[in-house]
Amino acid sequence: MRRAGQAKRKATGLSALAYLLQPASKNAREGRAQTNASIPARTALVPAQSTSILKTIFITSVLFLTTSFVLNPKIKFPYEQAGLTNRQAAAHLLSRFTFGAKPGEVDLVLKTGIENWVNQQLKGNLDDENLKEKLSSYDALSLSNEQILAQFPRGVEVRRMAIRDGAISKDSITDINKKELKQQYEAYRKQKGLRDEKELFRQLINQKIIRATYSNNQLHEVLTDFWFNHFNVSITKNQCAQFIPVYERDAIRPYVIAKFQDMLLATAKSPAMLMYLDNFLSMDTHKEFEIQGNRNGKRKIKPQHVKLANKKKAQGLNENYAREVMELHTLGVDGGYTQTDVTEAARVLTGWTIYPMKEDGVFATIRKILDKVGEKNLAKKGFVHDGDFLFAINRHDSKEKNVLGKKFKAGGGYQEGVDLLSAFAHHASTSKFISKKLAIRFVSDTPPQSLLDKMAKTFLDTDGNISEVLLTMISSIEFWNAESLRAKTKSPFEYAISSVRALDADIEFPFQVNQWITKMGQKLYFYSAPTGFPDRGQYWINTGALLTRMNFGLALAAKKIPGVSFDLASLNDHHESESAQAALITYSHLMMPERNVETTISRLTPLINKPGIDKNINDVANQRNNSNEMEPDEMVMEEKKTNHSEPKIKNSFGDNTMLAQVVGIIIGSPEFQRR
Amino acid sequence: MISRRAFIKSGGLALFGVGLGGVPSFVTRAVAQTKIISPYQKNKILICIFQRGAMDGLMAVTPFTDPYLKAARPTLFMDASNNGSLLDLDGKFGLHPGLQSFQKLFQEKQLAIVHGMGSPNNTRSHFDAQDYMESGTPFRKGTNSGWLNRVVGLLGHEASPFRAVSLTSSLPRSFYGDNPTIAINNLNDFAIQVKGSNGNMAAQSFEELYDQTSSELLKETGKESFDAIKMLQKTDIKNYKPSQEAKYSTSSLGGSLKQIAQLIKMDVGLEVAFAESGGWDTHFNQGTDKGVFFRNAQDLSNSIAAFWNDLGALQDNVTLMTMTEFGRTVKQNGTGGTDHGRGSCMFILGNNVQGGKVHGNMKPLAPENLEDGRDLAVTTDFRSIFSEVADKHLQLQNDKILFPEWTGNKIGVMQ
Repeated sequence: MRRAGQAKRKATGLSALAYLLQPASKNAREGRAQTNASIPARTALVPAQSTSILKTIFITSVLFLTTSFVLNPKIKFPYEQAGLTNRQAAAHLLSRFTFGAKPGEVDLVLKTGIENWVNQQLKGNLDDENLKEKLSSYDALSLSNEQILAQFPRGVEVRRMAIRDGAISKDSITDINKKELKQQYEAYRKQKGLRDEKELFRQLINQKIIRATYSNNQLHEVLTDFWFNHFNVSITKNQCAQFIPVYERDAIRPYVIAKFQDMLLATAKSPAMLMYLDNFLSMDTHKEFEIQGNRNGKRKIKPQHVKLANKKKAQGLNENYAREVMELHTLGVDGGYTQTDVTEAARVLTGWTIYPMKEDGVFATIRKILDKVGEKNLAKKGFVHDGDFLFAINRHDSKEKNVLGKKFKAGGGYQEGVDLLSAFAHHASTSKFISKKLAIRFVSDTPPQSLLDKMAKTFLDTDGNISEVLLTMISSIEFWNAESLRAKTKSPFEYAISSVRALDADIEFPFQVNQWITKMGQKLYFYSAPTGFPDRGQYWINTGALLTRMNFGLALAAKKIPGVSFDLASLNDHHESESAQAALITYSHLMMPERNVETTISRLTPLINKPGIDKNINDVANQRNNSNEMEPDEMVMEEKKTNHSEPKIKNSFGDNTMLAQVVGIIIGSPEFQRR
Repeated sequence: MISRRAFIKSGGLALFGVGLGGVPSFVTRAVAQTKIISPYQKNKILICIFQRGAMDGLMAVTPFTDPYLKAARPTLFMDASNNGSLLDLDGKFGLHPGLQSFQKLFQEKQLAIVHGMGSPNNTRSHFDAQDYMESGTPFRKGTNSGWLNRVVGLLGHEASPFRAVSLTSSLPRSFYGDNPTIAINNLNDFAIQVKGSNGNMAAQSFEELYDQTSSELLKETGKESFDAIKMLQKTDIKNYKPSQEAKYSTSSLGGSLKQIAQLIKMDVGLEVAFAESGGWDTHFNQGTDKGVFFRNAQDLSNSIAAFWNDLGALQDNVTLMTMTEFGRTVKQNGTGGTDHGRGSCMFILGNNVQGGKVHGNMKPLAPENLEDGRDLAVTTDFRSIFSEVADKHLQLQNDKILFPEWTGNKIGVMQ
């Protein structure tokens, strides 16, 4: 079932394939460009049933204007046809293109104009000074992979170095006194100017939370989250963990609205992906070692094994990346390829590996050799060095291959890998697969086929332009239909961030929020399978997770999450609610704009009016210490230790007012789980 | 579904209702003492413990008569004869002294050992090997479900919210998939965590709201969540007293198994449970009858023995199985440890296990018998054992779903 047979593939998409995989496709594109060079910018939102002329205009202009297209100001998204008011449309849009509406944001969108706002979000270049300020202390975010390896070496690497330098004796390593050992490591790191790798991952996670909370360019954050998950890599595979910050920054983030093939290529060449799906060690089975010595499958490479011209054992082909790039990144599992295609694609990609880094103990030796050979000599031989990427022609299978009916002539070198990925990116199956995934993220878990067809068509017509595919999506009535409203269940990350945004809260310690997100079932950057987190309500909602969500709402509103502060009164312009019921009504509307909250209110009113329940709506005096905070992270512990007299954690004492309770219930309510 | 719900409504909800309404506590207590018949039939339960880091199977269960092993491990080798500290199992294999608690279980034929088990994929990466073992598809990374999730899918009868529970902070790879499973570190977290009258208000409010939501998913799961709270409320989790004076260690594994025992005794419909044991990646000074391996082994065997003891008569319903991603090199390395290898061993505990026997097909550790010239060869595919346990203990015969792409034989580790 999973591997469709050769026959099926031929039957399904042969004509499209033949077209897409033509070696001459580049010329064809240039030809179109010439014909239409004089035609000005494309008017957005061409109807799906566009004529072939329109289609040509479309393609051409997109080729020239990928990043700087201008929306026709007269264009209106069909929300009125779907029966929505401006305000409802803005609220719906905010629930899809942001991590949740902030108080008053519906008005902001309307003031900007819905179409303009979409345009701004697609461009993603709104001023973000506040965000920059918040991120300024996260120094690891601007480092290169090489610098990261130098500053944050992996635990095993530190151990190796510490033993080498005699800072830690081999004998003490497994001994009982773990505390002492930890201190020895710490001292060693300090002496060498090294930092704990945990700090790197903390910065990575925190920046994600901070960006999602504060960025004005919300759609780019949503898309970065989406595409990272699509091209998932995981800290759980610790060989690739150090490379993940740069991966997100350089291989995902710059491409979130660009052409799909550009992101595909960037991920394929990124050390994180090369390591995560093992392509870095894939080589021609019949070739012998020249540059990288390694034995026995995926066994760790040790310096003593790294010898030039080590002819002991060839390790051979590794199909992991080749398979997953087709199954998960491009064509989809039913995309019409066979096991033979997987093997052939893997052969095309042999030699695609990581440029050895100076500071990586394991690879440093190889780096020295490469440095000696010199860039020019390497290039002459057919090696390609591009940043952290290396095409090692000596590991490459240079014989002829055949993937999806496309022939790759012998001796194609690096370029044939690029062509292969480009063919995948332009495949009809890919257009469907990517469109569906986007629609599942932005519309509903079961998006209508009519919408998918339009999006897939745009994908093919625009050379995989993500921005255009998104525009087609929101220009379709299916996006605005009643079935799509509130159709998605928030992921734990979306839920947590939308809560914080709805309260206009300030996050001082993002890692505290991360711990709740983890507890609700989403350990950021740790999903181990290359599939990424499933984007389905059913995956996120189970009994344990749902209870944790309710508890999160209560804890957040009661200010029991250290380092998250907000002012409930100011959300309502400091108008005091006269009763619990009044508070319920006011804050339901504030936090869930344009939602029908009448049933929520009518159900809750009798409960909050019960006798014996604390009625002090805004009574902040009624505060006490609470025992059910989550385990504070290390940073907070330090803060606590050093700031006895003046605790930095302002709100850790909790807020037990009725207002906080009501807000907690709103956040934990089923309505707030949806978007 | 409906019948179970109806039952809980008539029994559990009444209890919940009075607990919140300010009714004198003696009434609540009286209700709590009423014997509530479990809404679930007694089902078979499978417990899996993943030993992360790759256990040195040759040290855990040592073929002590093998001269090659003795030569390959000058300082790590232990003997069962000649006053050695191994516990002789059958004249050929010796149990590591840290696993002493297993000896009795082995002798009483409740414990079976499979040696030379592992994955057909020869990766020596922890991540990859764990991933493959947990997904059950050793050559396919993209499998989106874990094998235990597929087990849950095949069970095919009424489901409890506690049907599949992992005592871990996040869902293990084995549990990934479409069927509902939960990961929970601490059963105490399974409540609305606000105290006092306001807390009751919050709990009641949530129950009301989830009951009326238009989202079927949230409505159903909401109901189940509150059902689950009520089920757990029947028992005092914090002051749990294990029976038969079972002594759980304070380790993470001990805590996990203790909570699994509680769930089993509470009759909340548990059928698949998962826990982890760490620290098996012994590249340095793994030690012999003391040291890191010893401590890990002791924690493993003591925790499991305490759990088994605690179950008492409920043992008949339970099979427990350990697993580890690969074994370690036959030769010890230069730092008193062992490096990543291939075959290891696993323990299977239960009353319908073919116990008291070291299963498998381990050959003498002569160089020509080793995989890649260095490692204990994998002679039993892990899927062969997993599928046999699923078959004989849970009556799940659909190997095509559990382990697609696998065709092999079962080795008779179950009765």
